[in-house]
Amino acid sequence: MLKEQLQKFFKIDRRWIFLLLAVTLFVPIMKPLGLPNKTISPATKRVYENLEKLPAGSFVLFSLDYDPSTRPELHPMATALVRHAFSRNLKVGVVTYIAGSTGLIEELFAKVSREYNKVDGQDYVIFPYQPNILAVLTQMSSDLYGIYSKDRNGTPVRDMPVLKGIKSYKDMSVIVCVTGTAILDYWVAYVGDKYRVPVAGGVTAISQPGYGPYLQTNQLKGLIGGMKGAAEYESLIKQPGKGTSGIDALNLAHLLVLALIFTSNILLILIRYL
Amino acid sequence: MEFFTHSWAMLAGQLAHGWVWFCGLFVVTESWMIAGGWVATGLTIFLFSFLYKDNPFFKVAEHLYLGAGMGWLFQVSVTNVWIPKIWEPVSKGELLVIIPSVLGLSLLTQFVPKISWISRYGFTFMMGYGAGLAIPAGLSTDFISQIGGTIKPFSMLATMSPWAIFNSLVVACGAICVLFYFFFSVEHKGHLKKVSNVGIYFLMIYFGAAFGNTVMARFSLLYGRFDDVYTYSGAKYFYASQIILLGMVVYFLVRWFTGKDKKELDAEETAG
Repeated sequence: MLKEQLQKFFKIDRRWIFLLLAVTLFVPIMKPLGLPNKTISPATKRVYENLEKLPAGSFVLFSLDYDPSTRPELHPMATALVRHAFSRNLKVGVVTYIAGSTGLIEELFAKVSREYNKVDGQDYVIFPYQPNILAVLTQMSSDLYGIYSKDRNGTPVRDMPVLKGIKSYKDMSVIVCVTGTAILDYWVAYVGDKYRVPVAGGVTAISQPGYGPYLQTNQLKGLIGGMKGAAEYESLIKQPGKGTSGIDALNLAHLLVLALIFTSNILLILIRYL
Repeated sequence: MEFFTHSWAMLAGQLAHGWVWFCGLFVVTESWMIAGGWVATGLTIFLFSFLYKDNPFFKVAEHLYLGAGMGWLFQVSVTNVWIPKIWEPVSKGELLVIIPSVLGLSLLTQFVPKISWISRYGFTFMMGYGAGLAIPAGLSTDFISQIGGTIKPFSMLATMSPWAIFNSLVVACGAICVLFYFFFSVEHKGHLKKVSNVGIYFLMIYFGAAFGNTVMARFSLLYGRFDDVYTYSGAKYFYASQIILLGMVVYFLVRWFTGKDKKELDAEETAG
């Protein structure tokens, strides 16, 4: 009798679980709980340290290659990275090889450049979207202006103060690629390894484990993974943002999953031995 | 004559006025932002409504997504590839770009069986170019560097901490065992089977970590959508989320009470 009752648990309509998950994720958005995010992974810290140690005026290239489908994970980390670069008075260049990211880049720089009083063309430059990433990466190794003669508004870039002294990868201090695609692999293989330029990355949580080997061999100078990584970076620069606020929801959702797995297993054991 | 001139001037003025008005439609104003909020939250709720059951709102959102995606890709191809990479250089007399353009166009002959052989020229170029770029980089980055990274720590054992030595041993052991698991020229039995089994455990740990991260990533995306839905539920957006959600609930309730859901279920059961 009890066995049959317990077996009913495994026949519940899965929509109840969807609803429970929706509530679990929604509640912290309406009323943040402020659960702490105390662990900072060494890989995230390495990205931070790579930017932190650069002298003011160094040129950092951001390859922001994500579109709205991965925005919740990658936009907060891109925002935190740009904030960090601006706070250190680094010169920033932005390239993208995903057409859908152009709007997000505009949104990001419209907001963050105002926070730090940074001027387009003087402190940062946003290059236009380019198709065929491999051809572009190869060309940039010899002459940046051969492929990017104008910025995304059609303004010639050669005489821009932000690009003074920048001609190819060897003039760049660090390259950081934020992406939910394999574009980071291209940066590592075709630029980092080939031209000995430090390359760091920010990726979705799904692709994070796959980059472990690059971190171990130091081919990647650091890696920010998923919303958790974004929250870690926000903690490092002491500017909480969307990543930090998402940690509440993630923690609760993970607890829910753990509770469901635990309950199911206990019930299965009980059913087996009853 | 003066009448015609005046009429033309009037017409031109009207056209210019109309054009300015038309362009003004695309200037991002507060009203557009509010409308954007309604569309964004509406489409999100419509798509999530599939979790309850299939419905016309989900279908609308699904088709809109496909149509908008194709339209977006087309305009990106025209404005970011065709115009700057082909049209503008050719207009300036840089005729060399015609060669890769023709090679690219040759791929389209795949759709015409009689002349599909022409596409081989385009594919040949792509294969040669792709292989030339990818093979050396792949060998260096993913093969030699990885082998080096596994072996290198053993040449520096004297300077390493015990924990770092342990880590290096785990990495080397994992690499060897997993590689052996995929080595099929020797029968996996006895001690060799044990090595292969250890490889399976390393693989399982990787799959577990990857799956855990996938779950976290999916929750993050869901959180992102909910965050937007919450943003658009404010008074600034005229309570878009609540109104659309309420509309959906009313729709499902009406269907439930009018018995249409039951009829559909019966029809599905009969068909099944």
